[in-house]
Amino acid sequence: MADDILIAGIGGQGVVTAGDLVAHAALAGGYQVKKAEVHGMSQRGGSVVSHVRISDSGAIYSPMIPDGAATWLVALEMLEGLRWLWMLAPTGRAIVDDRRVPPTSVILGGPSYPADPAGPLAERGCILCATEIATAEGAPRAVNTVLLGALSVCLNLPLEAWRRALEECIRPKHLDVNRRLFEAGQDLARRTAANLLTG
Amino acid sequence: MSAEYRKMILSGNEAVALGAWQAGCRFAAAYPGTPSSEILPALQQCRARLGGDLYAEWSVNEKVALEVAVGASLAGARSLVAMKHVGLNVAADPFFTLAYTGVEAGLVVVTADDPGMHSSQNEQDNRYYASHAHVPLLEPSDSQEACDFTRLAIEMSEACDLPVLLRLTTRVAHSRTVVEFEAAQSTRAPTGAPVNPAKYVMLPGYAKGRRATLEARIEAAGEWGLREDITREVAGEGPVGFIASGMGYQHVREVLPEAPVLKLGMPYPLPAERVREFAARLNRVIVVEELEPFLLERVLAAGLAVEGLPSELRVGELTPMRLAAGLAAMGVEVGERWHRSVAEPMGGLPPRPPVLCPGCAHRYVFTALARHKVFVAGDIGCYTLAALPPLCGMHTCLAMGAGISQAHGIAKAMEGKQSVVAVIGDSTFTHAGLPALLNAIYNHSNMTVLVLDNRSTAMTGGQDHPGTGLTLSGEASAPFDFAAVARAMGVESVHEAAVGDHAGIDEALARAIAFEGPSLVVVTGPCPLRYGALAAPYTVDPEECIACNECLRLGCPAISVPGDSDGKPAIDEALCTGCGLCAKTCPVGAISQREGGEAGG
Ligand code: SF4
Ligand code: SF4
Repeated sequence: MADDILIAGIGGQGVVTAGDLVAHAALAGGYQVKKAEVHGMSQRGGSVVSHVRISDSGAIYSPMIPDGAATWLVALEMLEGLRWLWMLAPTGRAIVDDRRVPPTSVILGGPSYPADPAGPLAERGCILCATEIATAEGAPRAVNTVLLGALSVCLNLPLEAWRRALEECIRPKHLDVNRRLFEAGQDLARRTAANLLTG
Repeated sequence: MSAEYRKMILSGNEAVALGAWQAGCRFAAAYPGTPSSEILPALQQCRARLGGDLYAEWSVNEKVALEVAVGASLAGARSLVAMKHVGLNVAADPFFTLAYTGVEAGLVVVTADDPGMHSSQNEQDNRYYASHAHVPLLEPSDSQEACDFTRLAIEMSEACDLPVLLRLTTRVAHSRTVVEFEAAQSTRAPTGAPVNPAKYVMLPGYAKGRRATLEARIEAAGEWGLREDITREVAGEGPVGFIASGMGYQHVREVLPEAPVLKLGMPYPLPAERVREFAARLNRVIVVEELEPFLLERVLAAGLAVEGLPSELRVGELTPMRLAAGLAAMGVEVGERWHRSVAEPMGGLPPRPPVLCPGCAHRYVFTALARHKVFVAGDIGCYTLAALPPLCGMHTCLAMGAGISQAHGIAKAMEGKQSVVAVIGDSTFTHAGLPALLNAIYNHSNMTVLVLDNRSTAMTGGQDHPGTGLTLSGEASAPFDFAAVARAMGVESVHEAAVGDHAGIDEALARAIAFEGPSLVVVTGPCPLRYGALAAPYTVDPEECIACNECLRLGCPAISVPGDSDGKPAIDEALCTGCGLCAKTCPVGAISQREGGEAGG
């Protein structure tokens, strides 16, 4: 199995940590892994993506997912989901939080926020209420973990690998709530996102 | 230490630190700069987890960092110095002459280039520094090589009596790939700086002697390039062969996994024999590299008939897709996978450029400056984002510390007919602002310097600097006092205010701008991102709000106008840090804090 996972969101939302979690889980599951992202200026509330490439068969060379070849798009915000939708392979699927964060350009009366962001996204995957779940658990910054729980249901990695990844990437004091949110994401995907699994 | 093999997924920067640790590097200095900033903290982690001796410091700028490391190497400590690509411009003065003197203990100079300018003001290709200064260059293409090449660089440096330049790019520095390594460290205790004027005093007479030996030293370094662990041939099939280094190597293998590739870990000095031998066996050879045609020029100069990539690929970051398209345009068969039509990015989406963080109360000064209708010479740091709408509060950004000098130049040229304010951050001021201010004072400038002191080198991740009163290792150090230093340097009009004290800031600016001569204002307020100043979020009362949009002009990403609100703003409570700036800006008091607590400003 080889998967190219693109994680998209806004600087500060935990895109980089989400990518780390997938990479650590893949490594723990015996996969080859490469991951690419950028730090610095783009992290200041700008549009941010992390590329994670995993494979248990052929070699991975470039850490960057080729255009139009992502098998999964995990988006922490709907506009960012739309922005990167073109990166999905024809059979690729999207897992998107239903959150809307209008960028400054919209706030200042520039182009408007898409009227129906959910439409095109739902066509290519599923939209989950991850922010709602994370906020209810008192951890609004752990939305990424809910989405990764959903992604884990779709990938072929053993659950043990994800457990180890959480332990390696999440600070001990946040570990419990992240474990719960990960499971909530798994549940949510199993209950509401049949189209992901049949892809 | 017993040999113990481990396997980890590491960023290129972490891998550089690990390789340096393995080589017994016990001294490291840097000025933070994306994408290089994580190297020093990672080296400290290596020391903490694996043992060994290490001294590491944030130096005030790259020139100083290099010179400090040169001193340590002279004393016999294996050393590393790290910087972003433009940092090497600052360090170029000692860098060039360092090739003449050479080193005592191994010294690796790490430059992290930024093709595509993800977080930089230009995309210069620092491989040219190597050939220009006659310094050997190693260029890793993943984290394993970042680790191995750093270790080799320190060994090579010591063996060849030359510094070695290790060039990363953003995609090497910030990608994570698997590294297998031996948790063992070589050691070399410092023996003391030798007195050897012919080698270390670069007076013309001595320098001529060292210049003469430089040719032999760089030739000896060239021998290293013949090693199989530095120059590697990947056997393959097909009529076209490739010569590649760095990330270009990974991309060409991605696009044409079966093709023969000569991978150059050391682009300078070019291992010409290996290249000649490789090219002789192929009908067609293409050089694959990111940014400038550095390798191509060298291979052509060696008299070999090779081709480079289409020139439009020299601008911006190379990606597998761009490379595939470029090769296809050259008539290379790239395979089905790269001919698929890819969906266009969705059009008409609002862009999301980076913005000043929610809760950054420093944004107020830009609205205050706008009222004075001054020209604002800017500088490099997170406050550069204030150049973007809605603040549009900065009119230049050229180089570290350049704002002060530019402002002085404008003031002189305009002979007082244009008011100029130079805005500079605390870390940038200590990096390159000091000599620029001294110059302005010395030459009777009539302009204002505004230091935005957020007690942090914030854009690169919140590192310490002389103003924060802490060193890299967490030791207390007397905090640099901007106002006191300016006074001592001879600035007569010096004013201080805290962020949030808008009346105080207004008055300070008014007095400083009106002053005939150089003046300086320090506005202090710690970076909320680094110091985590969180208070209860604010909220807009739609009953009170008159939809004047004053608060929106602050450009705080937490404030927006929802579609269903008659143009009245609302605050996203998950983003709001409770700084209270918008509440102070609202003319009718429609914004208030949710429950309990005071505004954090
Ligand atoms: S208090 Fe106002 S200005 Fe400060 S972070 Fe919250 S919304 Fe932004
Ligand atoms: S500044 Fe006050 S009145 Fe004006 S739009 Fe903002 S909340 Fe409404």
